[in-house]
Amino acid sequence: MRLNKLLGTVFAGATLASMPLGAHAQDFTGKTLVVGVWGGDIERLLRQNAAEPLEKETGAKVEFVLGGSGDRMARIYAEKNNPTMDVAFVNIYEAPQALQDGIVVAPDPDGDLYKAIWPGMNNGCYAMSINALGIAYNKKLMPQPPEWADMWKPEFKGKIALAPYPSTESDSILGIAARVAGKDEHDADAAFGKLAELTPVALTYTSLDEIFGMMDAEEVAMAPMISGFVIAALKDHPDLGFAFPKNPGPVVVRDMLCLVKNSPNPELAKKFAELAIGVKNQTDYAEQLFFGPTNKNVELPADISDKVVDKPEEVDSLVQLDWPYLMSQRSAWTLRWNKEILGQ
Amino acid sequence: MKQETLLSAIGAVWTILAYIFLLAPIAVLVFASFDNAAFFRFPPAAYSLHWYEAAWASAEYRSSVGVSSLVAVVAGLISVVFGSCAAFALSRYKIPGAGIITAVLMAPLVLPLIVWAISLLQIYSMVGISGTLLALVLAHAVVTMPLTTRIMISTFERLDPQIEAAAASLGAPPLTVARRVTLPLAMPGLVSSAALSLLISFNDVVVSSLIAGARWLTFPVRVYAQLRGEGIDPITLAIGALIIALVLVVVLLGEWAFKWSRQL
Amino acid sequence: MCGAFGAESRDHMKKNATLLLLPALILSGGVFLAPFVWLVLSSLKVRAPGSLMLQDGLTLANYHRLLEDPFFARVMLDTVVLSGVTTLACLVIALPVSRFIVRRAGRAKGLLLALTLVPLVSGALLPALGLIHLLGPLGIFNGILKAFGLIGSSLRLLGTKTGVIVGLVQSFLPLMILPLVNAMSRLPRDVEDAAASLGAPPATVFRRVVLPLSVPGIVAGAVLVFCACLTSFVTPQILGQGKIATFGIIAYQQAALVLDWPFASTLAVAMLAVLAVCLLVTTGLQSLVTRGRRAA
Repeated sequence: MRLNKLLGTVFAGATLASMPLGAHAQDFTGKTLVVGVWGGDIERLLRQNAAEPLEKETGAKVEFVLGGSGDRMARIYAEKNNPTMDVAFVNIYEAPQALQDGIVVAPDPDGDLYKAIWPGMNNGCYAMSINALGIAYNKKLMPQPPEWADMWKPEFKGKIALAPYPSTESDSILGIAARVAGKDEHDADAAFGKLAELTPVALTYTSLDEIFGMMDAEEVAMAPMISGFVIAALKDHPDLGFAFPKNPGPVVVRDMLCLVKNSPNPELAKKFAELAIGVKNQTDYAEQLFFGPTNKNVELPADISDKVVDKPEEVDSLVQLDWPYLMSQRSAWTLRWNKEILGQ
Repeated sequence: MKQETLLSAIGAVWTILAYIFLLAPIAVLVFASFDNAAFFRFPPAAYSLHWYEAAWASAEYRSSVGVSSLVAVVAGLISVVFGSCAAFALSRYKIPGAGIITAVLMAPLVLPLIVWAISLLQIYSMVGISGTLLALVLAHAVVTMPLTTRIMISTFERLDPQIEAAAASLGAPPLTVARRVTLPLAMPGLVSSAALSLLISFNDVVVSSLIAGARWLTFPVRVYAQLRGEGIDPITLAIGALIIALVLVVVLLGEWAFKWSRQL
Repeated sequence: MCGAFGAESRDHMKKNATLLLLPALILSGGVFLAPFVWLVLSSLKVRAPGSLMLQDGLTLANYHRLLEDPFFARVMLDTVVLSGVTTLACLVIALPVSRFIVRRAGRAKGLLLALTLVPLVSGALLPALGLIHLLGPLGIFNGILKAFGLIGSSLRLLGTKTGVIVGLVQSFLPLMILPLVNAMSRLPRDVEDAAASLGAPPATVFRRVVLPLSVPGIVAGAVLVFCACLTSFVTPQILGQGKIATFGIIAYQQAALVLDWPFASTLAVAMLAVLAVCLLVTTGLQSLVTRGRRAA
């Protein structure tokens, strides 16, 4: 401890003469942790459950850069020699890539954080939340919760909406289409051939407002969508429902929390990650946003537990896609999607 | 004369229709901002000022609107001054390579800004200014400068250099000519280009999403970041409506006080 | 402001011109050209297999890929046409509007100009979402047409080129109106009055006097609208509902979603090349026309 303190003093004195002598290792006053994340409720919960407690504990400031995960990937890759972002939240398909390219720190299998998360979840970065791709549908058009195969029924032709490609949603529905055709995502022809049977699609949507408006107007009967925000929005749209299909199951998707390599504040970043993946924040994620927890120690009330993916056995029943493979096919598949699915 | 009246009536009707078209989509948003639902719908079902109160209470939104305004004003100023000077040189002097210079100054207009911004991010990171206010302001100035330059070129092209020459030949020093002759004549162009660059900078999403640092997050970036995951936050509709009202009030007060539109 | 000088020595003028150009050139050289050169360079690189990082060495692979598939060329040409149509529509709408604002609006002039700015105040995104509610199958526009018995079933506007053009015109009309008002404001009124008093009908006055004198404004507005359309992606994506591919959309797709930054750069460079060719052709045609006129 003494040696530590001494070294700290020497270091601080050598670099920043203005720093108070004997700065404690836990005192981060004057430091700013930069966290890149999606906007809206996610930002609100992270501010409340991770940023504010961290600021209180360490004296550091926490600031958020908001945007899509594509913006964040562009930023952490562009700044790889000189990062300004400490923590970056990305999608499951981006995390393994970032690790492989040496942009983020590999999750530490011996760390408490790693052990708090269910086994098999930390691909590339730490798993933050679990969601599932199911079917959002209009209850007036579909009295029973639909199965995947129902999307291909002739009476719904032209009434199916999709997300733009590439995205978690569109990659996942290609995986499902291939499975409905008896194959899996490694057979691109099967995936595109089956999905093309749904064309012309009613629309590709970029925001929930667009798709819910069209669903309320009965212009869209079903759309493959990701559970969390959609389930949270159902209270405003009484005619709409969300189904977790059974055959095959929903596709499991994850948001990942990455610690950026060589970032200015690695210790603060780790503390932030512990709070973000901590029980309090993950419980709020589940209760308010219906995002499933990855932390083993989270206990949810039954009514919430029904609507989120929160148990390992549940995850086992979901469809897992080969994300690195899908990532490698992106360029080619983008072209195929534009032509074969959108008819551009 | 009868024909003239008829034409003028047609002109009035045409103008009114054009403004209905221009403003209808925005009217939808303004109506929706008084709706009390937690999502965007039209027509609204019940009216309240709920989202206006929420907008006022949100420190994050307040600060992002402040950042956007600051960046727009500084970047707009740089863009108007630099752009007008370049436009004056290009329209008044025979400059070798004028074509190439104009092309370079106009080029940001035709590049997809997202692709350019990713490259800019790499340059900023090498220089070590990424995430700073300076980085954001410079990027916005470059994005808006083609607009001001283009408008000012067309402004100076229409001004008769003879008038300036006459003033100079009567013994007016160059600065006086600029202030008393050129500036007033160029006023309409200056006002239009300042308005355009302010608004384009204020609303930029693409460049700011990549360039803006944590401390300098702009209002549109915040709106867009939320929209992608969850749809429109009605708070943003309320703020949008307030900004529109503010712009209208400022313009109309300016009109009332300075009669600026007569200058145009 | 910048200086204004008539009778000066050539050296003096050269110095002035350089001084006036310098700030803009320095800014654009550092913040625009440097990344642009970087962009062109990265269009000559490819990603390493299974990685987002760029491989060493230069290659034309991206350009091969671009030319190999007619999809990209078609989208670029479609976008040029779409932008051209939008620009024309903006011009047709804006000419009478600007003339009305300049000559007849009187005290309403300030208000009208302020209202012109409103679509720019709210960005591209929110008005596009507003338009969805207006143009949708159950929207007000179809409702009005149905109420007047003009159509039996709803017109399909969303997800069509028409819908995209409507959205683009709505977003970018101000970029046409402002330069036009700026240009028309300085038209000497006496010239028009003189022409009219000599018995020229209003249409002739407009065609022979007003229009030619507004050309700088028309050019400025057309350039701004055309370029804004070329690269926009929010409006075409939302109103096209994903079914209309434009250059802005595929560039965004490659840069922000596929994360193939070199190929996105290639698309940008290719578009610049297409525009340069368009520009050369129009300048060529223009000089042919002027020469022809002079000859006649």
